[in-house]
Amino acid sequence: MLYRTAGQFKTSYKSDQALFPIKQDAFLLGIIGLFVLAIFPLTASEFAFQTMLIPVMIYALAALGLNILTGYAGQLSLGTGAFMGVGAYACYKMVTLMPWMNPLVAILLSGVFSAGVGVLFGIPSLRIKGFYLAIATLAAQFFLVWLFEKWAWLYNYNASGAIQVPNLTVFGGYVTGPQADSIVQYYVVLGIVALMTMLCINLTRGNLGRTWKATRDMDIAAELIGINLMKSKLTAFAISSYIVGVAGALYVFMWKGAAEPNLFDIPLSFQVLFIAIIGGLGSVLGNYLGAILIVGLPVVLNLVPATLGLAISSAMVEHLNIMIVGSLIVFFLIVEPHGLNQLWRLIREKLIIWPFPH
Amino acid sequence: MRQMTKLALAAVVAGVTAGAAIAQELYAPNLAYRTGPFAATGIPLMNGQADYLSMLNARDGGVGGIPVNAEECETGYSTEKGVDCDEKTKGKAIVTQPWSTGITLQVLPKTNVDEIPILAPGYGFSPMMDGKTFQWAFNAPSGYWDAADMIVQYLEGKDGDLSGKKIVHLHLDHPYGKEPLPVLEALAAAKGFELLPIPVGLKEMQNQSAQWLQIRRERPDYVIMWGWGAMNAGAITEAVKTKFNMENFIGVWWAGHDADLKLVGAEGKGYKSISWSFPNPDAPVMADIKKHVVDMGKSQSNPEEMSGVFYSRGIVISAILAEGITAAQDHFGTAEINASQLRWGLENINMTEERISELGLDGMVPPFSTSCANHTGNSGGWMLEWDGDKFVKVSDLLTPNTDGYADLVADKAAEYATSNAPWPMNEECSAES
Repeated sequence: MLYRTAGQFKTSYKSDQALFPIKQDAFLLGIIGLFVLAIFPLTASEFAFQTMLIPVMIYALAALGLNILTGYAGQLSLGTGAFMGVGAYACYKMVTLMPWMNPLVAILLSGVFSAGVGVLFGIPSLRIKGFYLAIATLAAQFFLVWLFEKWAWLYNYNASGAIQVPNLTVFGGYVTGPQADSIVQYYVVLGIVALMTMLCINLTRGNLGRTWKATRDMDIAAELIGINLMKSKLTAFAISSYIVGVAGALYVFMWKGAAEPNLFDIPLSFQVLFIAIIGGLGSVLGNYLGAILIVGLPVVLNLVPATLGLAISSAMVEHLNIMIVGSLIVFFLIVEPHGLNQLWRLIREKLIIWPFPH
Repeated sequence: MRQMTKLALAAVVAGVTAGAAIAQELYAPNLAYRTGPFAATGIPLMNGQADYLSMLNARDGGVGGIPVNAEECETGYSTEKGVDCDEKTKGKAIVTQPWSTGITLQVLPKTNVDEIPILAPGYGFSPMMDGKTFQWAFNAPSGYWDAADMIVQYLEGKDGDLSGKKIVHLHLDHPYGKEPLPVLEALAAAKGFELLPIPVGLKEMQNQSAQWLQIRRERPDYVIMWGWGAMNAGAITEAVKTKFNMENFIGVWWAGHDADLKLVGAEGKGYKSISWSFPNPDAPVMADIKKHVVDMGKSQSNPEEMSGVFYSRGIVISAILAEGITAAQDHFGTAEINASQLRWGLENINMTEERISELGLDGMVPPFSTSCANHTGNSGGWMLEWDGDKFVKVSDLLTPNTDGYADLVADKAAEYATSNAPWPMNEECSAES
């Protein structure tokens, strides 16, 4: 009923292949857009910005980058955290070496460095697959974090070995550093994340995306029909690492404000991988759903006992939180092994044919 | 998706309004870590802190007649959760107690905007001593650079001349472990000893065989250690295993946890740790805590823990906070102080011997005082030694020779201010110092 497609006629190929062939999808996106563009930023408190809105978007972007590589091109990677680090350190070096540089340009350029490093560590993927490749990317993870610790030039020889985000302005307003307002940072993150998402949707629908999917589904068959595997895999590594690098730069510059090397260690890689898997590999929407579940939900759960007026010690809340989030993950994976995105797709499909299911 | 976020927003709104309804109190949240990899060291400290404040609440009705709400927010020592907690509490908090170098680094640049003082007793960023630059940050009573200086002083007092000696600096490869390096390097150059830093990666904390192999090969005269959490127990057991002479093994104050030494018991005899706090079971404050908190069943601690160094350090930390509050209350003539008034208070702590015994903390903390130019106080400390069963004092009060690194403090503080420009300085303060 809500999703009735009757009466929506497609009279050209163009309209059939549109991004939103069903009107209700576009309408739904419009509502989400209204919330994200106006309602959330105008109503959110500092706390909501800093613990939910901004991190959820940044994590979703990182998971999107990983999803290009793992979900679309089928190359398992455990090095996401380190590639985020490359983006963050590249951005830091750029803005400190060239203080005149527009920070937004620096954030977008920092992905170029992580793309380069990603391609470098993607080369083994031409010969190895699956778990073996995962180990190769794990090597990247360990090597890069070690490099962030040892190469003092990267953190400008700071005694503490950490990087601090300076106060930077765009058109006279602070966008990074402690002086920046959360709402400004929110819109910057939103803009960049929306841009990257659009790019990804179109890439995965196009020629390159089909090449990746063919590589993922069966690389020998793909090679036989004339797909250049080297190009397919390395472009996947490059684009994925670019997005992950931008996410890393946003992570430090728009959210954390300071970072030490071990921030980019393997737990971060796993967290992003969890988001991608729980959201659904090979999807774009799934990354957002996954990020809301993994990043946003624990924060909300933490607030519940205090809101209900229950006197539970904060350590207990933390333990409960871990248990609840853990069991929710298990629950969702049992209900829908292909992730939250698939869950939404099934719901939507059912709604379209409702009330006459076959 | 929308519903979930709406729910989230509703929860936030409810949380904020519920908080505003609470009656008169001083809200001094603590970013505690009773879970996670560092919980073993966190719990006694948090218990000490909490018990002292609940004792004040029970005995005196709080500080200056207003109860202190020392709510804990669990971070598990994770920077991410720490920032969550900071955001959650900063609406009405009068102090931030970040409890980890990582969280301190995140919170420190924001202090000028948030205007809430950071209290990081004995940890954090050493140049925070410069109160003109770091208006809102306090690391009283003593910083890491003081510790480095006092350890070298102690060794000198024991051995006379240090020239030609070899000292290993075994440290966590983390901002915390690297903190004392500039001062140790300067001292090495001045006193002519050889300094050999050996880092221990976060992943290698529990297995330090490679590091101790290197130590055996290098045959250093002394090993000093900047360790935390599992690293301390790892180093101490490894030292015992490799038969390193424990007499020559000295840790910073965070590497002097009774439980770590109990693992090796008598074999750890001679291990030392510099400390600005000492457990004195006969101090009046301990009796008061027992009467008002423990006997009322309000403590989460146990007698064994309460006799340890870390529990008593927690007490001292809360006592410093309470002193800051008292100073501010006296000066501003109001019991219900706000964050910027507490900043003044923390800047004007005067812990004399008399005041210490008035508070019932006899022998638990050395006297010190802070000023607007000096946010550390440089109390100095005692060298503690493990006698096989507990820590005992083996030195008189050592005081750091701060002149030796005053320039370094100024340099590093100025460097921090420039890289975080625009960074407001406390100009009113420049007349002193």
